[in-house]
Amino acid sequence: MTNDPRQLIDGYLDETLSSDEHELLNRWLKAAPENAQQLAHATLLHDRLRSEHLALDAASEISRRALAPVLGKSTAASALRLSRWATSTASTAAIVAAMLLAAVLWKGFGESSASAAVVELNRIIAANAQPSDRTFKITVEESALPQRQRERSESPESNRPPKPPIEGAVLHVRGGGQFVLVRKTADGRPFVTGSNGQTSWAVRPDGPVRFSSDLTRFNRDLPGHEHSMPLSNIHEGLERLREAFDVQLLPVESGDEANIDDEPSRLIVAVKKRGFRGPKRVEVTYSVRSGLIRQMRFVEMPYGPARLTLRMTLVEEQPLGEAFFDHQSHHDADRTVEEE
Amino acid sequence: MDDNARQATRLWTLAQPVVSAFVTSVVRDFSARDDVLQEVAVAVIESFDRYDSSQSFVGWALGIARNQVGLYLRRVRRDRLVFDDETIAFLASAFGAVSADESPKLGFLQECLRGLEGRARELCDLRYRHDLKPAAIAEAVGMTANSVAKALQRIRDQLRECIERKAAAAGTTT
Repeated sequence: MTNDPRQLIDGYLDETLSSDEHELLNRWLKAAPENAQQLAHATLLHDRLRSEHLALDAASEISRRALAPVLGKSTAASALRLSRWATSTASTAAIVAAMLLAAVLWKGFGESSASAAVVELNRIIAANAQPSDRTFKITVEESALPQRQRERSESPESNRPPKPPIEGAVLHVRGGGQFVLVRKTADGRPFVTGSNGQTSWAVRPDGPVRFSSDLTRFNRDLPGHEHSMPLSNIHEGLERLREAFDVQLLPVESGDEANIDDEPSRLIVAVKKRGFRGPKRVEVTYSVRSGLIRQMRFVEMPYGPARLTLRMTLVEEQPLGEAFFDHQSHHDADRTVEEE
Repeated sequence: MDDNARQATRLWTLAQPVVSAFVTSVVRDFSARDDVLQEVAVAVIESFDRYDSSQSFVGWALGIARNQVGLYLRRVRRDRLVFDDETIAFLASAFGAVSADESPKLGFLQECLRGLEGRARELCDLRYRHDLKPAAIAEAVGMTANSVAKALQRIRDQLRECIERKAAAAGTTT
């Protein structure tokens, strides 16, 4: 046990004091105002050391988040330089204080932020209903199957032919109701489903081409269809966000795949409300200027017995041709076509 | 943001390092400190209308912090080694007394930190960036907990000397 005040103070700050030493320090602090001031001096340094170390991360994060939408990828190096500048010249305490205050103010303005997000969501819904053609790539980040379902997969039902994998699929969309989804079967042949807004259709690698006036007829093996959020119908998915999710606006991080050019992007995060079914969370990255979607990410989306986390990322935005969403554009003219 | 909020923001930004250090002097766990500090910030902003501008803002904010620390301690007192109320009151006064002289000098800390090298830099990083205590640091770097504690003490002394030297050179001494 030490009774050296300096060692007691250091031990206190590093949480290495015994209860006897702690009591000794407690008594010593009350013995004279100078003693308490000695601890105050030591703690100011100790606390600032913590802030300085965190500020290296914080300054980098602040500039990354704040500048990414404005600067885009091409000026990432400038952002990094600015981050270093911020770290070296700005008062660390001010950074931490500003972050804290921002958090406080954010708390107070939470409701108006949610309203702003709903207004933005309405704008996005309108913008994405326009008949422009866009192509997305689908990436599955994670697929989880509950244990009990894994056990059931030994049942005879599991002998049904597997669904074409959604990973790596390409989705073309036009406005709210037209789409073409291209997946690959296990042996690499294309399996194409789509809709031109009048009929829906499926072009399998073999067998007849099928079409139906039921626009949802060939959506049923797509994630989200059973919760009014089919991947193939962005418009319907966005409408669903409005009614069944709590939404908020966030800036987009730099380096995000959705930042395809130097145009500013913004992020809407939608968290499913209690009592509704569907993915746990949906993140929509969109162009601030046009409102057009660049990426949608679905977290824990129900897909049969599994839960998928997947994202759709915009890869192209150009006219696909008048007949692209008709089935005839996706198979040879001599294929048999059947109506269902 | 209206003028009142702008003024509250400006004053809080200046006072926050001292208030943070005061909270740390009682609530040593950094993440708990952050929680308490956030409560203090909320209370400061919410009650700013009652602040008498003829008085020290730091002193006023330290008073609010003292109340918030008290609320926190009532929740955890049974589990932790903490100072009694009288000592906490002494500490609040002490921080108020030293802040005006001490805060400007700590502006040199960043420069002094850049002078740390090798093991000293590593220990400092583990203690302050990763929030590890001496026992955990000792395990990570193959030293004893006691030697880590002593090394941290030397590092802080070294930084303190560096700060005082630079402050003296810049004419920021008391």
